[in-house]
Amino acid sequence: MSTNEKKQRNEEEYEIVDRSKQGVEGVFIWGQMMPNNEPHDVTFELLGEGRKIADKLNTKLTAVLIGYNVKKWAQELIYRGADRVIVVDHEKLKTFAVLPYTQVIYDIIQKEKPEVFLFGATTFGRELAPRVAARVHTGLSADCTMFDVGDYVNRRKKLKFENVLYMVRPSFGESKLATILCPLNFPQMASARPGIFIPLKRDETRKGEIIDFTPEFSEKDFVVDVLDVNVGGGEQIDLKGAKIIVSGGRGVGEKGFDMLREFVKVLREKGYKAELGASRGAVEAGYISSKHQVGQTGTTVRPDVYIAIGISGAIQHLAGMKESKYIIAINKDHEAPIFSVATFGIVGDYQDVVPIMIEKVRKGEMVFPVTQ
Amino acid sequence: MSNKTFKIAVLIKQVPIPSKMRATKEGLMDRSVASMMNPYCKHALEAALELKDTIGEEKTEIWVISMGPPNFEQSLREALSMGADHAILLSDRKLAGSDTYATAKALGTLIQKLGVNFNIVFAGLQTIDGDTAHVGPQVAERLGIPHVSYVEKIDFKGDHVVVRRILEGGNITYKVPLPALLTITNTANKPRGPRLKYAIRAKNEEIKVYSVDDIGLTAEEVGSAGSPTLVYRVKNVTHDRPPCQFMEGETVEDKVNMLAEKLRELVEASKAEAVEA
Ligand SMILES: Cc1cc2nc3c(=O)[nH]c(=O)nc-3n(C[C@H](O)[C@H](O)[C@H](O)COP(=O)(O)OP(=O)(O)OC[C@H]3O[C@@H](n4cnc5c(N)ncnc54)[C@H](O)[C@@H]3O)c2cc1C
Repeated sequence: MSTNEKKQRNEEEYEIVDRSKQGVEGVFIWGQMMPNNEPHDVTFELLGEGRKIADKLNTKLTAVLIGYNVKKWAQELIYRGADRVIVVDHEKLKTFAVLPYTQVIYDIIQKEKPEVFLFGATTFGRELAPRVAARVHTGLSADCTMFDVGDYVNRRKKLKFENVLYMVRPSFGESKLATILCPLNFPQMASARPGIFIPLKRDETRKGEIIDFTPEFSEKDFVVDVLDVNVGGGEQIDLKGAKIIVSGGRGVGEKGFDMLREFVKVLREKGYKAELGASRGAVEAGYISSKHQVGQTGTTVRPDVYIAIGISGAIQHLAGMKESKYIIAINKDHEAPIFSVATFGIVGDYQDVVPIMIEKVRKGEMVFPVTQ
Repeated sequence: MSNKTFKIAVLIKQVPIPSKMRATKEGLMDRSVASMMNPYCKHALEAALELKDTIGEEKTEIWVISMGPPNFEQSLREALSMGADHAILLSDRKLAGSDTYATAKALGTLIQKLGVNFNIVFAGLQTIDGDTAHVGPQVAERLGIPHVSYVEKIDFKGDHVVVRRILEGGNITYKVPLPALLTITNTANKPRGPRLKYAIRAKNEEIKVYSVDDIGLTAEEVGSAGSPTLVYRVKNVTHDRPPCQFMEGETVEDKVNMLAEKLRELVEASKAEAVEA
């Protein structure tokens, strides 16, 4: 008998634990709202992926919608894939704060006993999910990019688990994909990287149930006050529609941004759809408004040409631009990580390089490979 | 008794140098390679040191706390050389394989065991090896204190802090009563280097090492046994981007000319494709 056959025969004698038959049921997602009182895109992505998981587990998909004046979105979440929407609508929940939101989700988990609970790996999601997991005493897998359902055999305990959630996430500096399981605790919790999962087509024939939920708060849930929320507003810029993005980092300085504005202007004069981008380093230093920010917490872009000037290439910046068709990096440090994703690199001071580039574009001596 | 009335804890982790990062055959992080203080933890420590500068050195005490193998002492000593006052290491084979839940349980229990009533706890937003951002919030939950993640600005106001945190497309400002835990981003500050005046203390200060027994937990509550999650398998990913072509030349002008040439080739190639199609 081969070892494989032996293994298989052994496993036949294992006790089978069906995850979906342990008094827990249903796939839940947190339907995240943004300060403008619209759902974050990841909400629709979670509904798309959650639907797939729920179908594999032959169970329902529930969205938890928390905020103030948010009930109007419940029907929309059903059109986008939810079978049920639990609405927690309360003036005190208007802006995200981790303590009351944790309590709400904790109460819902206690009452509903979900099998799976997914969050978007947004800045809110990654603040909230770990606190919830610690309160309900379960595991949490961060920033997942793939899910599946399958078996898990624990040879030591002679147990075979069926219908376990496979949570796959990049690890070891994105060089590997690790599959994480949480076979013993409920719910199986994960956060899902935004921009990865595919939303469903909006379908107005989809039917679902809308349920109001009133949580039990105590004073200690509201010890933190929201003082100010500051998101974009004002002049809109079109980073997503641009064919060329000239993007500046902390290495450019305030004056340098004037040079980059000039670069964008000259490109536009030549008929290119060009826009000015920036790293968070530059935004944080106050060189430019956050509307220009590219990256994980800014805009995700994929122009034909992305020109990164004085940007080191932190992983959060790369997350928002590495799918660009061609990347040109200008940096005085030849070891800057930005070069790891660049098509073309110039090692040098931007103050020397960029004026020559502008001049060449102006004279028609530098052209760019852009699509129509 | 010390008259240092304001007590700060900073959670610190040591991580492999990114280029050396690799998995063991069990799919866990190989901790035997060259390592450094996790960059986000350095920003957390800097936030603590800035707070110490604000409140006054004579009134403030910084405790750096870590959990990991004995060689994590390296980062703790580095923290002392930057201006931390006390260093604690929770180190025990029983802790091997801890996920974030078990790690937070161990660290939270240790902090309670120390019996220092910390006014504020800082942690790095995340580590560059685990990348979860879980441990800070989970320690706060254990300690029963509020937390804010993604903090990039802190104003100290005595019995509370006003903090600004990163948000997609902007930021949010909260007023947080103390004690609280804050996780700090890399945009918050610029960490200082070691200071000569702390060099001797950093070398001689005793690093107090605690075991799992010492903090009153059992082997079942920590390590892989106490972890709800497990790593089922690890696969390699392949990247398809070709390496960067560096522009060469005697002068900057030459390099830019070479770039112009490369771009022109791409434009012509796409024109040729368009004609064929
Ligand atoms: C939760 C979170 C979310 C984040 N989201 C984002 C995001 O969405 N977008 C984002 O960009 N960042 C984001 N960040 C921040 C990110 O980690 C980096 O801190 C940031 O991208 C660094 O910006 P930078 O490259 O401009 O600055 P630095 O890292 O300081 O790099 C400056 C670069 O300029 C080069 N340089 C300096 N002078 C010159 C010169 N004269 N000529 C040429 N080169 C020069 C230097 O060599 C260096 O490489 C986020 C961080 C966190 C924690």
